[in-house]
Amino acid sequence: MAQSMATTANSPVGKPVRKSHPMLLFVLKRLVMLIPTVLIMSLLIFFIIQLPPGDYLTSYVAGLKSEGVVVDASVLANLEEQFGLDQPWYIQYFKWIVNILTKFDFGYSFDLGKRVWPIIADLLPMTLLVSLVTMLFQYLVSIPLGIYSAVKQYSVGDYVLTTIGFLGMAIPNFLFAILLMYFSFVWTGSAMIGLFSKEMLQNGVHWYNLGEFLTRLLIPVIVIGTSGMCGTLRAMRAQMLDELGRQYVLCARAKGVSERTIIYKYCLRAAINPTVSGLSGSLASIFSGSTISAIVMNLEIIGPTLYNALLAQDMYLAGTILLVMGVLIVVGTLLSDIALAWLDPRIRFSGRSE
Amino acid sequence: MPIIDIKDLCVNIQLDEGMLTPVQGVSFQIEAGQTMGLVGESGCGKSLTSKAILAINDKKCRQTGEILFETDKHEVVDINKLNPRGKEIRDIRGRQISMIFQEPMVAFSPMYTIGNQINECTRLHITKDKKQSKELTLEVMKKVGIANAEKRYDQFPHEFSGGMLQRALIAMALVCKPRLLIADEPTTALDVTIQAQILELMQELQKELNMAILFITHDLGTVAKMCDYVSVMYLGRVVESARACDVYKRPLHPYTQGLMGSVHKIGTLKQERLFSIEGTVPLALNLKPGCGFYDRCNQRIEGLCNVVDPELCDMGDGHCVACHRCKKEATVHE
Repeated sequence: MAQSMATTANSPVGKPVRKSHPMLLFVLKRLVMLIPTVLIMSLLIFFIIQLPPGDYLTSYVAGLKSEGVVVDASVLANLEEQFGLDQPWYIQYFKWIVNILTKFDFGYSFDLGKRVWPIIADLLPMTLLVSLVTMLFQYLVSIPLGIYSAVKQYSVGDYVLTTIGFLGMAIPNFLFAILLMYFSFVWTGSAMIGLFSKEMLQNGVHWYNLGEFLTRLLIPVIVIGTSGMCGTLRAMRAQMLDELGRQYVLCARAKGVSERTIIYKYCLRAAINPTVSGLSGSLASIFSGSTISAIVMNLEIIGPTLYNALLAQDMYLAGTILLVMGVLIVVGTLLSDIALAWLDPRIRFSGRSE
Repeated sequence: MPIIDIKDLCVNIQLDEGMLTPVQGVSFQIEAGQTMGLVGESGCGKSLTSKAILAINDKKCRQTGEILFETDKHEVVDINKLNPRGKEIRDIRGRQISMIFQEPMVAFSPMYTIGNQINECTRLHITKDKKQSKELTLEVMKKVGIANAEKRYDQFPHEFSGGMLQRALIAMALVCKPRLLIADEPTTALDVTIQAQILELMQELQKELNMAILFITHDLGTVAKMCDYVSVMYLGRVVESARACDVYKRPLHPYTQGLMGSVHKIGTLKQERLFSIEGTVPLALNLKPGCGFYDRCNQRIEGLCNVVDPELCDMGDGHCVACHRCKKEATVHE
């Protein structure tokens, strides 16, 4: 209270100073909170990854044994010591995290025989591209359709969208992928498997084959994004209906405000709230939901690599992939929270003492 | 010429179960500077009537009859004939007829500042100029008694108290100086001391702007304080209408008598039970012929009240009532 009095005393209009503060403070606070969040997350990831009995070496040796190859115990012990696998997990974790912080070294992938970071750096751009385009597709399609569905409730269009919405949420991604691949093969003669054609792999993506690349991107985006899109559509419709039934809509209408302004100025801003706060969640579900589709469609993204790493108990690779995804999701959450605070003044001011 | 002249207004809602008629043939008129009270229990069609005047009822509602409104250019418009989403009706809403809602806490969008929401009215109807619009807004905010209006202008609804929000709502309704103000139970959500302040404020502003007010309430005490004329509604019909003092002195319709009897009077003994009207308002679905109050009436006449609809008749001196019993007694007296 004293603070707000002081600020109003400083500014005769009482506007500019008071308004910028809560938002800036809010962002700063959230940025600082990011550090412990990521640290705790890395600890949890490492703890869970090493939970299954054995490690990469034991499953590797078991694999060799089943093929009839006998491995010398001393060689095994030697390898164990070399990778630090004989030490308790918290020491391993500590070494891993110190190496990341000091040398930006995420460890070694036993399975692929390379350092972890180059593998990820290879896959990350395409993963991000597919994920972001999927998200864009999800929101650019679902929000307008959701608004339409709510404003024209019980119209033919609404029923059609509702049917599509439930179908889209119910069909598993991989089945959808197979269906789309089948139809694209029947109609265009190419199954559109993978993001790049042979020619692109040789020459790279340029302006002249950008169109083909985009069409190849379209199928994975639709496959991965549809269920999320339909979920968002349903949520958006429900939220919009909720807002349209509120008293302030009636009040705005009684003021002579046009329907368009009511929908876009008042209702949408309130209705979009859960969608925005679900942004990072949908990023997470895109990451995990894309794995099977990526395997089916042979996409060069991070999902299948994570899957193999987990199967092979390739702990540093799996851990790093999870950590990178986690960081991306945390950053996504931060962005969606900032967007929320900008949208909804009640959130923006909640931190300020009255 | 009255500012608003409502003739035989009906509101119908088609449901799967049949036709729902929550407002059936309401007629009244209000002149400039006058206050008409619309009284009745919950569910008797008061709010639907008031929203019908602005054509802001739900899409499912069909309105028939005439709502003749005299605009500030002295043209008479039938609001029922206008497209409820059209430009014409939007020019009337907020500018010529405005409305104060029951619950101020939910009448504002939580997303925008109070200032923004009030000055939306002026920007729509009076001036596109931002500075002038803000000045008008601040002026009206001060007029309704919002202290420190400059600071309040930039605050959000959740930073206001209930009474302050109701003041802001009144400011929003009055900023364009409307000819008719519809107040739909403006004080029910407020505590008693704030109620009195708000009512006084409304009276002052009415004098200043020479507005007509349609005051909707179920609180007879407020009606006595505020209104020149009263229409009592029951089951979508006006059952009694007269000057406010006449209704208080000599309520004619059994329903009005019941309403008066159920108000606690100071000076009566504590032990004395308040009168209560048995039963509830029936659902206005597939109504039988006859008086709507028949089932609950303690003065009903078998074979007449449940067969013939009572018409609204003038019992002399503009005191109208729709009751067979009253009519009979009047003819006997003559």
